[in-house]
Amino acid sequence: MNSLVRKAPFLILLVLFPFVTGKYHVSLLTEVVIFALFGVSYNLLLGYGNLLSFGHAMFFGLGAYTTAVVLHHIPGLGFFPAILLGTGCATLGGLLVGFLILRQKGASFALLTLAFNALFYAMATKFTFITHGDDGLSVIRPKIDFGIFTLNTSDVVVFYFVTLAIVGAVILLSWYFTGTAMGKTITLMCENEERMKFLGYSTNTTRLTLFTLTGGLAGLAGSFYALFFCFVSVDAISIAMTTTVLLITFVGGIGSFAGPILGAFVYIYLQNFLSDVTDRWQLFMGLIFIAMVLFVPGGISKLLQDMPAWWRAGHQINADKTGE
Amino acid sequence: MKWTLIFFMHGLTYAGLLFLVSSGLTLVFGMMNVLNFAHATFYMLGAYLSWTFLRTTDNFLFSLLAAPTLLFFIGVFVERFLLRRVHVLGHVYELLLTFGLAYVFTELVKWIWGTNPLAVPITGFLAQSVNLFGITYPVYRLFVFFSAVLVGLLMALVLYKTRVGIIIRGAVDDSDMVGALGINVPSLFMATFGFGAALSGFAGVIAGPLLTTFPGMGDAILVDAFVVIVVGGLGSLGGAVFASLIIGELQSFGVLLFPKFSLALIYLLMAVVLVVKPSGLFGRQP
Repeated sequence: MNSLVRKAPFLILLVLFPFVTGKYHVSLLTEVVIFALFGVSYNLLLGYGNLLSFGHAMFFGLGAYTTAVVLHHIPGLGFFPAILLGTGCATLGGLLVGFLILRQKGASFALLTLAFNALFYAMATKFTFITHGDDGLSVIRPKIDFGIFTLNTSDVVVFYFVTLAIVGAVILLSWYFTGTAMGKTITLMCENEERMKFLGYSTNTTRLTLFTLTGGLAGLAGSFYALFFCFVSVDAISIAMTTTVLLITFVGGIGSFAGPILGAFVYIYLQNFLSDVTDRWQLFMGLIFIAMVLFVPGGISKLLQDMPAWWRAGHQINADKTGE
Repeated sequence: MKWTLIFFMHGLTYAGLLFLVSSGLTLVFGMMNVLNFAHATFYMLGAYLSWTFLRTTDNFLFSLLAAPTLLFFIGVFVERFLLRRVHVLGHVYELLLTFGLAYVFTELVKWIWGTNPLAVPITGFLAQSVNLFGITYPVYRLFVFFSAVLVGLLMALVLYKTRVGIIIRGAVDDSDMVGALGINVPSLFMATFGFGAALSGFAGVIAGPLLTTFPGMGDAILVDAFVVIVVGGLGSLGGAVFASLIIGELQSFGVLLFPKFSLALIYLLMAVVLVVKPSGLFGRQP
């Protein structure tokens, strides 16, 4: 509870944000919130579950496409059913893919996630009668009707608050989840799987549950992505999207829960800045990713955590010098 | 009957390319336990370099030798200065690094050569067709298949008949033990990585005139190469030969018989192998 109180100022800041800045930044921040959830879901898989996946975009894309397709084909479908269908479909996808490939570990698991991502990508490009292939699908954001009043989601600020409320709540729930018995099981399973098995835990079930859950979370992020851009193309399910989530997670730092949230913030603003400066922003993003892996393996959050220690160490040295 | 033969030959051609790409991948994996996600970008680089060499020198034989040599050095550089640095951080970081490299290489290729497909022209005897069991078949496709066979035989000769081969096979089984026997394992890793890159580049050079050269060509073959090493078994060269032939034929006849679902066939095969024998047909039990 204490840490929730400490997080409160950030939440207030996020709520106050639109009243201070212009629409452009509100729109960027919406994107940050959506990608933060994507990053959080990936971090749960890699940082907590130690499962390296190169196919997380397939669940993101599945959520995005499902939302877009149902909104396209079912007239009058509401905001929440569209999101729920997207998330549900991605969760189901996670269960199915996880069931098939979780028997593998390490490198072959990573390879299979990439292969399955390629399968989903190929399906998205080939099944043009559903996905419209390279042309993509356009989405019209449905209004949210509460009976008494209606929220006009096409307004940037309103959509920001809707996203912040739903996605933010889900991020908080995921954070809560890491502290529950189930969440602890995942951490312990990575530390010493043999012992967990010996204690009577079914580690395979735990892993499948985690994979399914993170698939669902990525799907929710994908649904919001579709609604945010009002457009879905094969980009949403491509390898580039997996690279995006890897970047977000690694820039922010794996292992700490807040890392990917920070990472999403840095990524979106950096991408925005770089794409203004140069057409080759993807190249620079890739170089930044490699530099992070090589030189700052803990990400920014690790740097921030170490900062006080450095500071103190620096003071110590200075104090010693003056003492002499 | 005629069509069956033609598609069978097409399958063999593709199997040859697949073998060249996946054999390097599986050797490196068997030895260093690193799955190189950037491997297919070496294939793509090979094709692009060959296009440039052909434009400047107009000599196919030259690009057939120069591009793999260049890629050998790129591979050596990647292993020595990038991969070795992250080795201490563990397996996840090695995979992440190769994944990032694949992304950067693809972007670099787009920057240097553009995103439009490039056609690599082929001239002389290789551009002709021959009569083969009653069908006319392009010489170039036969050339692709036979160069793969030649490379495969050379590899087998080196691996099973020479002292270097014994050391490499030993390192695939247990690199620590080979190191303890006084062999310089890091430089062996470096050379193997470079050799794998060169093989992949060689495949790229000969794939250039056959398929179009475009930035997505690496991704296109990467998945198939992955399926090859999953089906054949990670780290097994014999498995790579066998699985390349199966996947090559399956691709070729899949396009003929079920054009919409040719990709699904390959995944179906992979799923079946994974369920029945997760370590692959020729793989060792972990």
